Amino acid sequence: MNITPAEAAQALSEIEASRVAMRRAIRSTAGHVYLWIWGTIWMLIAALGCANLVQAHPNVVINSICGLGIVASVAFGAVQARRMRCQFDMRFLGVCGMLLLFSYIVWPSVIGFGPLTHSLERSYAYSCLIFMQLYIVAGILFDNILLWVGLVITALLLAGLLLLPALFWPACLASGAVLVATGFHARRRWSH
Amino acid sequence: MAALDPIIHQPARLQIMAALCTLKDGNRVDFSFLKDSLALTDGNLGAHLSTLESKGYVTVEKEFVGRRPKTFLSVTAPGKDAFQGHVEALRAILSSP
Repeated sequence: MNITPAEAAQALSEIEASRVAMRRAIRSTAGHVYLWIWGTIWMLIAALGCANLVQAHPNVVINSICGLGIVASVAFGAVQARRMRCQFDMRFLGVCGMLLLFSYIVWPSVIGFGPLTHSLERSYAYSCLIFMQLYIVAGILFDNILLWVGLVITALLLAGLLLLPALFWPACLASGAVLVATGFHARRRWSH
Repeated sequence: MAALDPIIHQPARLQIMAALCTLKDGNRVDFSFLKDSLALTDGNLGAHLSTLESKGYVTVEKEFVGRRPKTFLSVTAPGKDAFQGHVEALRAILSSP
């Protein structure tokens, strides 16, 4: 078949438009919702901590609120799975290994968290650091913005816990706000 | 030099192939998702997918998600090669004197 250069140019521009539309559609259903969910939960726990409402029953309060986050995330993930199916990535195994290493050795050593620790701040910092590992890994694999969010919040948490304990809960509150703000930024950035 | 593929060159099929080739290897996308993304109708998308499937360019898999039947689409390796060849042929036409 023979076509003119003008027709070839038209076809190439249609291809590019189609690629852009597909990328936009994929990204519009992507991760910013998770950032909103977990940023809100994070801020809620930190706000309750600021108001001394977590300290009486920390496990019940934190686990209940995180449970809500897990339910919301799984529900949103199920909706996403109806639209796209991704192949299992072998790099995921390496990521799991790194997460286990940090979860059981690195962070417990750095913040002094263990089975005999009865400190709400250390327990909460530990769980937040674990989540930030996920952001760092996701940032390395997919998008620099998640890497920076992970690093900034990890720094805020460690600074609040180890250097300025009096500002630990405000630091957590700021961390949650970083996540929510990143959700808005990601919605705009990942849609283009 | 790669040649133009008349099956792919039809505008709607060109859109479909471009969109499916955007997916990472092994990823699949739902029929409705592709239809909405490309602003095509059910009948139009279905007919062009049949043509592409008969040529071995795309894979159409039906499965149940919960109780609802869903159709997932992906591009095959030969389909990806054919599309890449078609794009190269279009670029060659533009760059030829």
